[in-house]
Amino acid sequence: MGRKIPLPMLIMAILGFCYMLVPIVIVVLAGLTAGEFLTFPPEGLSLRWVIAFLQSEKYLSAFFFSFRLALMTMIVATIIGTAAALFLSRTRFIGRGAMRAFFLSPVVLPGVVIGFALFAFYISTGIGLTRTIWGLWIGHILYSTPYVIGTVGAALASYDVSLDEAARSLGASPMRTFRKVTLPNISQGIQAGSIFAFIVSFGQFEVSLFLSAPNSEPLPIAMYNSLRYKFDPSAAAAGIFAIMLVTASVLLTNRLVNIRRLLDRN
Amino acid sequence: MSSAPQIEARRPIGVNAKHLRWLLVVPLTIFFVVFFVVPVGLIFATSFNPQTIGQVSVTWDLTLENYVRFFSRSNYLMAAGRSVLLATLVSLITLVIAYPMAFVIAKTENAARNTVLLILVLAAMQLDMVIRIYGMMVILGDNGLINQMLAALGITDPDQPVQFMYNFLGVILGLVQFSLPFMILTLVGVIRGINPSLEEAARSLGATPRRTFLRVTLPASLPGILSGSLLVFALSISSYIVPALMGGFRVGVLPIHIFQQVAEGARFQFGATIAVILFLISAGAVTVYLRVGARHSGGLA
Amino acid sequence: MTIKKTTQTRRSFLKRGVALGAASTVPSTFYINHAWAQDTSYDGGMFDADGATLNVGEWGGGWEEFVRKALTDQFEQDFNCKINWDSSFPWFPKFVTQGAQDPVYDICNWNLPNLTQTKQAGDFFLTTDEVRANVPNAADCWDFAFASGAGVTWAYMPYVYAFRTDAGDAPTSFRDFWDARFANKRGTYGTENGLMHAFFMATAQEFGKDQYDMDAAFQALEDAMPMKVSEFTFNMLSLLERGEVDIAVHIEGEALSLKRKGVPVDVWEWDSHPILTQTKTISRYSDPMQKKLAFALLNRTLSPDFLNAFGDEFMWRPTNSKASITAPLAENGVENTADATKAFWVPDWDFFVENKLDITDRLNQIFGL
Repeated sequence: MGRKIPLPMLIMAILGFCYMLVPIVIVVLAGLTAGEFLTFPPEGLSLRWVIAFLQSEKYLSAFFFSFRLALMTMIVATIIGTAAALFLSRTRFIGRGAMRAFFLSPVVLPGVVIGFALFAFYISTGIGLTRTIWGLWIGHILYSTPYVIGTVGAALASYDVSLDEAARSLGASPMRTFRKVTLPNISQGIQAGSIFAFIVSFGQFEVSLFLSAPNSEPLPIAMYNSLRYKFDPSAAAAGIFAIMLVTASVLLTNRLVNIRRLLDRN
Repeated sequence: MSSAPQIEARRPIGVNAKHLRWLLVVPLTIFFVVFFVVPVGLIFATSFNPQTIGQVSVTWDLTLENYVRFFSRSNYLMAAGRSVLLATLVSLITLVIAYPMAFVIAKTENAARNTVLLILVLAAMQLDMVIRIYGMMVILGDNGLINQMLAALGITDPDQPVQFMYNFLGVILGLVQFSLPFMILTLVGVIRGINPSLEEAARSLGATPRRTFLRVTLPASLPGILSGSLLVFALSISSYIVPALMGGFRVGVLPIHIFQQVAEGARFQFGATIAVILFLISAGAVTVYLRVGARHSGGLA
Repeated sequence: MTIKKTTQTRRSFLKRGVALGAASTVPSTFYINHAWAQDTSYDGGMFDADGATLNVGEWGGGWEEFVRKALTDQFEQDFNCKINWDSSFPWFPKFVTQGAQDPVYDICNWNLPNLTQTKQAGDFFLTTDEVRANVPNAADCWDFAFASGAGVTWAYMPYVYAFRTDAGDAPTSFRDFWDARFANKRGTYGTENGLMHAFFMATAQEFGKDQYDMDAAFQALEDAMPMKVSEFTFNMLSLLERGEVDIAVHIEGEALSLKRKGVPVDVWEWDSHPILTQTKTISRYSDPMQKKLAFALLNRTLSPDFLNAFGDEFMWRPTNSKASITAPLAENGVENTADATKAFWVPDWDFFVENKLDITDRLNQIFGL
């Protein structure tokens, strides 16, 4: 490993990780406080606020609502975003750059503009999407898909097309070439894109403000609402719970992938 | 990972296959036209209507008064300039910090270590931004850890803390922290996708590791660099909560003005005007960037 | 005033005709006698709503969790109805976008500056008098509960300075905020924040001739720079807790809850005694059954039982003279009597909203936005 990664690079990376993680570590520690309020250094460590979070019907239902919404958003955004990225990287035509920029453009607008524009649109057309989960979902997809196009596009751009051509010349069908050659090689990009889609949707506050439906409060709005008048570590506790969940899911996925690899080998 | 493709009956690539490709982009195009172009276009159009509180739909009463208002006030113009400067700086800084991190992750072959690094990056994205800024404040505030350290070492006067936040610098520090995972994950995929034989070939021809990196690895990761910095640019220029809280509400950027006009004042026409200007500025910046990028990456992106 | 696009039902079309005819000329008191102000009345009893849905706009998170348990769960059972709760709070733009004839919520909970903005933008709400006539518990409320002109205020707390007790002498006057020792250690809120609005009006009152003296307020706020400007109360409490600010514009209950948890802070109530209020409005063009349910829900909100429970949880004070002050406040001598509540001041929000565009501009300028 030492030979592959030059030392200056390694040092810079370590500093970078510190910068990225120290605020997170502080919030996690503050959220693990045994005391009554959010503070750092914490007054003793305990899981009481995480447990309080898990016992709150409201937070938990908001958490799982956001989780479901993010999952639904991720699936659609990944599929249509990957398809569009494939098209953009494989087809030469005038206006390709413009089209790419067009698909990336929702994210340069603040979420509140997208949220409000859709809200006004749903009302004026009367298509029954106003303040429904479907209308909210559309807003989230719109705001998440550009991330998928960005990362998958980048993976495709550095991907060697001659691999595809080789497979095709060996007689593989386009579908098979895609599944067996292209897809594995850009899977990192797709993974990153779908993670972004999930995270962007899960943490989305501004787009949801105008679009969210009654009785289904997304987590960031529930958090904001609580932070308005309560100075307790429950928002940090929610983050701790989310970190535990993401750690578990990465470990689980790795385990599954490893098992599949073992099976493949046999 | 992939098994060797089996030989099947050869099928020439016909005209049909090429046309079928357009099917890939049809769903997204329809989706974007219906739910992005039309709704946002209608909102943008209202920027040419006179400001009427609560009025939402477009009318034929056309005027440029909102634009005049925007361009005749220095604070809006300053905010526009600040927004672009901010997003540009954040993209650059994030890139410089993120690249080594992504490189290390991409080149770490040990599966366990790799998983740990990945979890760290993902964990960094899991905290709600509002609460994450609390963590930033603990470090960077007037009474923050850094200022306490500086004062303890006698470098600064405790009554005259260094202002790491509540200003432009604070907004940059906050946005970089927020953007890092996005840049890293975009880069990791691309760096991993670089054909290792290219680097090996360079080495075997006697290139130093530094030279190999500068001449082979870095150019090959340009698509990721372009894509990642575009994402970060977009994230930064549209961010509301980070400038609001890290800037101590004293650093004016366009999203803060938009939020004020739309969500709090229901002054939709003027809010739309600011949004149009933000959109045009971003589109301009992105176009320039893609042009320059395309020249340097041989049109890869 | 413009009539917004809405889905055309026969009912809303009819309503609109009248609204159009009236809206052009008259202030809202005119409506007391028109057809649908009278289409519903409520006398305080229980009734069967036959499974109807009541659209409620009110804060979410822990607030909703508490109010559901203490109030609306039982309400749903008693009245055989369903509560649709929405906590995504830019109520004002939502109301005006959807239009008065197609109200987003049947009953909505507000801070006064936003309520007033909406009230001035169209014929959205029943007037306070119309509501009072149908909500028996309102009869027990103090007068300032009806200051909004639309809806009824059910809870309030005074504006205060929250200050760190370890940062020198406690403030004793409104002007202490301007002390040199608090330079860059004083905290207030962003331009569009309700707490900032109240601070602005109180500053005008203190430094100018009266609350309408905007120039005096602008000058005073300019003199108060450098300030730390925050966006909401949690952020301000964390600034206080970390010692980033030593004195901050705040509201009594939240700042006291920080004190109760052991942070070295205390509060000083402004001598002009403005109050932050929670006010519920009922939408004029809601359907009769929804309107009747809204009256019933507001009536229950104003009941001493609920107000006492709510006060114990969040340290808000009740506007109902028959409810009691929660123990931690009562121990500090807070009373719920005519004398004790006489001094409370509800700033003239109508004036504020009429001048809001200028105020926003000037405040942005002062903050450097």
